Amino acid sequence: MALLGTILLPLLGFALLGLFGKRMREPLPGVLASGLVLASFLLGAGLLLSGGARFQAEWLPGIPFSLLLDNLSGFMLLIVTGVGFLIHVYAIGYMGGDPGYSRFFAYFNLFIAMMLTLVLADSYPVMFIGWEGVGLASFLLIGFWYKNPQYADSARKAFIVNRIGDLGFMLGMAILWALYGTLSISELKEAMEGPLKNPDLLALAGLLLFLGAVGKSAQIPLMVWLPDAMAGPTPVSALIHAATMVTAGVYLIARSSFLYSVLPDVSYAIAVVGLLTAAYGALSAFGQTDIKKIVAYSTISQLGYMFLAAGVGAYWVALFHVFTHAFFKALLFLASGSVIHALGGEQDVRKMGGLWKHLPQTRWHALIGALALGGLPLLSGFWSKDAILAATLTYPFGGVGFYVGALLVAVLTAMYAMRWFVLVFLGEERGHHHPHEAPPVMLWPNHLLALGSVLAGYLALPHPLPNVLEPFLKPALAEVEAHHLSLGAEWGLIALSAAVALLGLWAGFVFFQRKVFPAWYLAFEAASREAFYVDRAYNALIVNPLKALAEALFYGDRGLLSGYFGLGGAARSLGQGLARLQTGYLRVYALLFVLGALLLLGVMRW
Amino acid sequence: MSYLLTSALLFALGVYGVLTRRTAILVFLSIELMLNAANLSLVGFARAYGLDGQVAALMVIAVAAAEVAVGLGLIVAIFRHRESTAVDDLSELRG
Amino acid sequence: MSLLEGLALFLLLLSGVLVVTLRNAIHAALALILNFLVLAGVYVALDARFLGFIQVIVYAGAIVVLFLFVIMLLFAAQGEIGFDPLVRSRPLAALLALGVAGILAAGLWGLDLAFTQDLKGGLPQALGPLLYGDWLFVLLAVGFLLMAATVVAVALVEPGKASRAKEAEKREEVAR
Repeated sequence: MALLGTILLPLLGFALLGLFGKRMREPLPGVLASGLVLASFLLGAGLLLSGGARFQAEWLPGIPFSLLLDNLSGFMLLIVTGVGFLIHVYAIGYMGGDPGYSRFFAYFNLFIAMMLTLVLADSYPVMFIGWEGVGLASFLLIGFWYKNPQYADSARKAFIVNRIGDLGFMLGMAILWALYGTLSISELKEAMEGPLKNPDLLALAGLLLFLGAVGKSAQIPLMVWLPDAMAGPTPVSALIHAATMVTAGVYLIARSSFLYSVLPDVSYAIAVVGLLTAAYGALSAFGQTDIKKIVAYSTISQLGYMFLAAGVGAYWVALFHVFTHAFFKALLFLASGSVIHALGGEQDVRKMGGLWKHLPQTRWHALIGALALGGLPLLSGFWSKDAILAATLTYPFGGVGFYVGALLVAVLTAMYAMRWFVLVFLGEERGHHHPHEAPPVMLWPNHLLALGSVLAGYLALPHPLPNVLEPFLKPALAEVEAHHLSLGAEWGLIALSAAVALLGLWAGFVFFQRKVFPAWYLAFEAASREAFYVDRAYNALIVNPLKALAEALFYGDRGLLSGYFGLGGAARSLGQGLARLQTGYLRVYALLFVLGALLLLGVMRW
Repeated sequence: MSYLLTSALLFALGVYGVLTRRTAILVFLSIELMLNAANLSLVGFARAYGLDGQVAALMVIAVAAAEVAVGLGLIVAIFRHRESTAVDDLSELRG
Repeated sequence: MSLLEGLALFLLLLSGVLVVTLRNAIHAALALILNFLVLAGVYVALDARFLGFIQVIVYAGAIVVLFLFVIMLLFAAQGEIGFDPLVRSRPLAALLALGVAGILAAGLWGLDLAFTQDLKGGLPQALGPLLYGDWLFVLLAVGFLLMAATVVAVALVEPGKASRAKEAEKREEVAR
């Protein structure tokens, strides 16, 4: 029951703020919301320390409403509520003065509640509730400033693209139900311990569930919604589209590790998609001019890394990267938010620059975030990225190709991270602003996130250094055979990644401080800015044909309706014609009477 | 047999009269003609099927008498308020 | 067909035509009387003597007289008055009438009847047992009907306004 409390607390926040929020003065809604999230965090931590918890209630026939707090879901719960709490506090300051203040926090709390439902679920339908719920919250929050039609469109785009993934999720669930008669994760885990029932159908189910993850976590080909989702307020981008919701796909794969560990081909496909997405995100980040969109494409890329890890079978490594990424990505977004706040709403990096002197604390936040993203040795990003690189060589579904690809993307990552930092903070001041530093309520969460970005990696250090995370998560994940590298090989690879990261960071630092760029770079940058024309391709191939079909159907439907009205008109004219027989003259009636009688008699006679 | 055919013709004549006449009383007269044609037919068939035909004809005469009384009363009542007996004036039940 | 039969049928048809075509209502009524009288003779010839007598007494003697009475009362002697809004319907009426005749004749076509019943002359002695036997209910019902018709006829032609006007006139005269 207490486990249900972790979900009910933010849900209560949603209800209270939704109903009474308008009457509360700032900053009460923000404080209330943050407090409830903190309470959830503490409750979850407490339950986890006491050994976990379960909750079960009668729900649909054959499908109970069951929640499970084990190491895996507990880990995610702490990330969601912990980082969520920090971002809530940041938002108290960032959203100050906005007319929809209480509405914002109501939606924010709803999101936390739904994300917790997703994470704590012990059966797929319950997870699906959370899945849809976070999608809803995302829609509401992306389109928070709904009066702007472009923002509303972005929200709708996110929701619709997600829906495609959700279809996959549902179909996957259906197949599992058909094969095993249960959708409870614990029961499915046991059921799959023996020889597989129908490997091909199971592979299809795995692929379909992965499709759901592709939608939710913005992988190729459903990644188009994430850059547009930057229309929402910065705290939204930080919480939902960096730290938590988009990692739900990774969590799904990890939770279903018992399924994927026995489906080598599907896992391989997952890894390939992950690597391609990582490359795509990294390449597209170079051309972006919006400060948040650079970070958004970076998120797509890093999610690709997580799927790469999950695909090769290293589920705990993927979750390790989720952990570190939550810190430094949220930090990058919130730092961007501080910059936007400082410049009074400016988001175009071409109008920024030279902010190093003006923002004494945000500059460090940004630098730490960018270095962590780029993989500076000893920061969190370095350890988790290196773990992924090592996993591609040691885990069963991996391969050297994955390693090389991931390494190259790491170089690109370092370079665009530096581009972000350089364009915003260094160089000449291209804008005409009077920047002021953020208030403490916005700075303190960033301090904590920066600390996390530095230290989070130390949870899982490579052999022979202590690794706390892997044994913590192992019981909740599937058993996957991983062969170990020799100590020399392992540390040699670490040195290689360190060198590569430093090289990339230095190269980015130097290159993007240039005044003039070579022609080949400018051409590349132009293509990158359009994210390599994916949106245009989708519009031409899918969206516009569907729109045309919808319009045609609409007109056809209207024509059908007017056809029915036409029928009415026809009946009316028929009636009017017949009414002319009612002349009122008795003799006419008599004539018709006799005529009718004759006809009847005639018919009867013959 | 010829009587039966004659009765059919008389009936047809009556129908023509009903459809053609424009004064209510003359319409009524034609109706009486029709009734009598029916009676002739009944009597004609009685010769083939028995006395029941005649009894029926007797009943028809009695009913016709009653009908004429009531009908003429109606005509008198209606046309007392109007000046004419024209059937075409009764055209209020238009469609 | 004997000569008398042929003459009778000819007269029937002639008078029928006269009834439906004569313009003067009284002439039409007289034609109808002729029709009824010939018909009565035909009844007698068809072994329905009682019916023939009834035909003369009731039909020709009461009903048509009532008709003449009403014609006189309403000054409706002239038949077709004023303008005929449906003059084009006459051919259609004729056609329909022919159609009716045709249907009825067609009904009589294949009938193979043996007119051999012994009707005992259609006298009251023969009709009586039937009237007060099988047809008793019908007889009583018709009687009731006649009573009802009488009441209705009186009610329909009740003086109403005219009598009230008369009473008002009487009171005025007395006052003076």
